[in-house]
Amino acid sequence: MEFEAVIGLEIHIELNCPTKMFCDCPNDPGAAPNANTCPICLWFPGAIPQFSQAALEKAALLCLALGGELQPRSAFDQKVYYYPDLPKGYQLSQAHHPLSRGGGIDIADEDGARKRLRIHHIHMEEDVAKLVHELEGRTPISLVDFNRAGAPLVEIVTEPDLRTPHHAMEFLKVLRTQGRYAGASECSMENGTMRVDANISVRPRGTEQMNTKVEVKNMNSIRHVGDAIAYEIGRQSAAVQAGEAVVLHTRLWDPDKKATFPMRAKFEGPCIPDPAAPVIELSPAWIETMRSRLPEMPAPRAERFVSRYGLAGEEATYLSADPELAAYFEALIEAGIAPRTAMHWLTTQLAPALKDRGRELGNSPVTPRRLAALLHLLSRDEINAQAAREVLAALFESDADPEEIVRSRGFRQVSDRDALGELIDKVLEANQTAVNDYRNGQDKAMGFIIGQVMQASRGKANPKIIREILATKLTSGR
Amino acid sequence: METIFAYLPPRTDPLADGAPPGLRTAIQPCLSVAGWPTDAGAPALADYAALEDATVVSRLRQAGATLVGLTRTGEFGFGLTGSQAGMAVRSGAADLELVVDLAGESRLAAARAGIWGFKPSWGTVSRFGVIGLIPSMECCGILAGDAPPIGEFLRAAAGPDERDFSLPDEEAPDLSGGRVAAGETTVGVVVEALDALPSPAREAFRASLATLTAAGFALREVSLPDFPLFALVHQIVGAVEASSSAGRYDSVRYGRRSPGAKNWNEMYLLSRGAAFGTLLKSYLFQGAYFQFEAYEAYENACRIRARLLAAMAAATSQADFLVLPATNPAAPAKAATPEDIYAQSRFTAFANVTGQPALYLPPPSGEDRPGWQLTGPRRSDARLLAAGEHLRGILQGGE
Ligand SMILES: [Zn+2]
Repeated sequence: MEFEAVIGLEIHIELNCPTKMFCDCPNDPGAAPNANTCPICLWFPGAIPQFSQAALEKAALLCLALGGELQPRSAFDQKVYYYPDLPKGYQLSQAHHPLSRGGGIDIADEDGARKRLRIHHIHMEEDVAKLVHELEGRTPISLVDFNRAGAPLVEIVTEPDLRTPHHAMEFLKVLRTQGRYAGASECSMENGTMRVDANISVRPRGTEQMNTKVEVKNMNSIRHVGDAIAYEIGRQSAAVQAGEAVVLHTRLWDPDKKATFPMRAKFEGPCIPDPAAPVIELSPAWIETMRSRLPEMPAPRAERFVSRYGLAGEEATYLSADPELAAYFEALIEAGIAPRTAMHWLTTQLAPALKDRGRELGNSPVTPRRLAALLHLLSRDEINAQAAREVLAALFESDADPEEIVRSRGFRQVSDRDALGELIDKVLEANQTAVNDYRNGQDKAMGFIIGQVMQASRGKANPKIIREILATKLTSGR
Repeated sequence: METIFAYLPPRTDPLADGAPPGLRTAIQPCLSVAGWPTDAGAPALADYAALEDATVVSRLRQAGATLVGLTRTGEFGFGLTGSQAGMAVRSGAADLELVVDLAGESRLAAARAGIWGFKPSWGTVSRFGVIGLIPSMECCGILAGDAPPIGEFLRAAAGPDERDFSLPDEEAPDLSGGRVAAGETTVGVVVEALDALPSPAREAFRASLATLTAAGFALREVSLPDFPLFALVHQIVGAVEASSSAGRYDSVRYGRRSPGAKNWNEMYLLSRGAAFGTLLKSYLFQGAYFQFEAYEAYENACRIRARLLAAMAAATSQADFLVLPATNPAAPAKAATPEDIYAQSRFTAFANVTGQPALYLPPPSGEDRPGWQLTGPRRSDARLLAAGEHLRGILQGGE
């Protein structure tokens, strides 16, 4: 029997707000343990949650970026369970009235065809504290760090539209891009700002039934999500084939063993409306204001890069996946650089140079303005490509303008025909064998001769003019 | 004094030179006073000292009030058992007492002490720093010997507070009162509330209303057929809210942790087992029951609550204010169970369910007649207080 999987994802995204969701504590879980706490997030008696406008705005931007429909009225509920990571004894979440309904993400499936993966809803939620288990002598102790308690989260719940690990991984990649574009979150599974649970069930291919699902947690990269889903599909298919029933439970992915293992479930009760947190009412005008704050999204941006700048589809998708990279590219175009040159220098020169130096585009000393100045020198033939690469390296070391670096380090290209003519005569004289080879029809000897001239000019000769002069001098005797 | 107060500060706040002495205010330890043992009368908060003043407390201080001490209270101020609410005013030790009103405690304590008791509208007075149990129903209640200290309290403490979102931030409540006069003012009598009174209390209450007619007020019968449902809805919704509010008392961040636990679960069971008294435990169990085992009943209670709000709005629109009894002579004097508390609160719980203001007006001293509970629509607090003052004049034969 052939099986197909039915997969739904539940994705928690930590919003990059300056403060927590219901208090003014810094949203910085990495600080010294319990440094970022107050009577509200520690839930002292008499505290009242103060809902963060910034959290609402970031969450709304993300919902809009994912095509969700912001609800005019949403409200918080209490997800009750008792665990030391939960100061209230319940987690504030939106179970009955989520912030947004609907939306979805378009991915390319295994055959390259466009596939729509729908989102059921998106709701806001507060994060819980972090538990650290240690030994004090021989006594096991548990420590609680409340820095993360109350950090603003959204949870994205998909429809069970996904069928394969590929779908899940592509969904998460696009989601990450959209989240970054919306400015809502870095969406990094590695850093824990995006956490993914997958609900997986299997059924005979071609049937429509919905079977008992198993929830899989603890994947900390997009790749692991794919691996865990693939493993779980295999495990469940084998179980069903062996006549075993799949029971509803939760499993943890073990990346070392590359397998999932059952975990003890936390007790969870029904959600009751929270009487203390405010009800959220959004006016159409406010929603439109948020929409207008949303930048152009990656898919339309990629299309525009193709139609306006003539980039290949793949190049356009690559550039637009990263909002900073795309903005950098457009800044170069704005500064008068040809799209192809901009694309080429960004991907083959600047990106590796940044990587070598462990830097990001956002904090690069090579600003679009400085790179554009350099590329202008190149296009005006004032320097050659070799010199341009060296100037780029120099831009990382000093604040000087490219013009100044070219001047002070003598990178200016020699385009003086008389001076080059003299230099070439000397080189031809010293390389008679190559000259004869060329005249006897061995074209590649030309490359060697040009190399020799460049070397003699210490890299400063204009290769275009060398070619022209050589063409005249050598064809005369061919 | 020790019978009334659980805590007296070493020295009362010194008065500023030449300044008139402010309201001497006794506080129930369900309202936070920075540095004072505001333990809400609960073992869960034994040894707890508040970090900050409740907004009502800090505003009273700013207005020149003197805090005289913390009064004795039952667990979390729920019901009057173990509570000395009203006694500080009655004994003359204070001009004003602040208590938490969860189901009618301020009005019932006032009736017990023969003084004035006022529950403001939900959203009129900040709840910041109120150690409560039932967030959607509770608020700071005020006890005083007469109307003026209550008015003074409202002028000092009511109005927007950025630390309590439930207060409308656009406007302070209108505290100017309003005209109450015989011949112009209609008093609504809630028929079903009277029907719920056992005889002969019912006849006595009806007879007391004759004073109003004699003074020239139009009396109008107002019908609220679902009146008995107020207390029922309060019990279901209140118990569920209390159960989740009490979830914070897990001994992880504060409160007493019981020794000997081998794991989290045991720590929870032992510490929470010691944190609550028997009556409160029953109430929390009821809440947990409705939440986990009878969720539909809870949902129904929420729906009925919305219906009751509409019915009450219709009733209050038929008169300038409504009058009804405050105490239930059929209820046990001492509450041992949540059911006893709800029997005691039969005539007061409605205002906590709807969030409307309610005032207990005591009979003139020495007279053997029932006190009146007055109520009006939400945010009619000042008008209600003005009506109370006017009626007091009539009752004392001053008009
Ligand atoms: Zn905080």
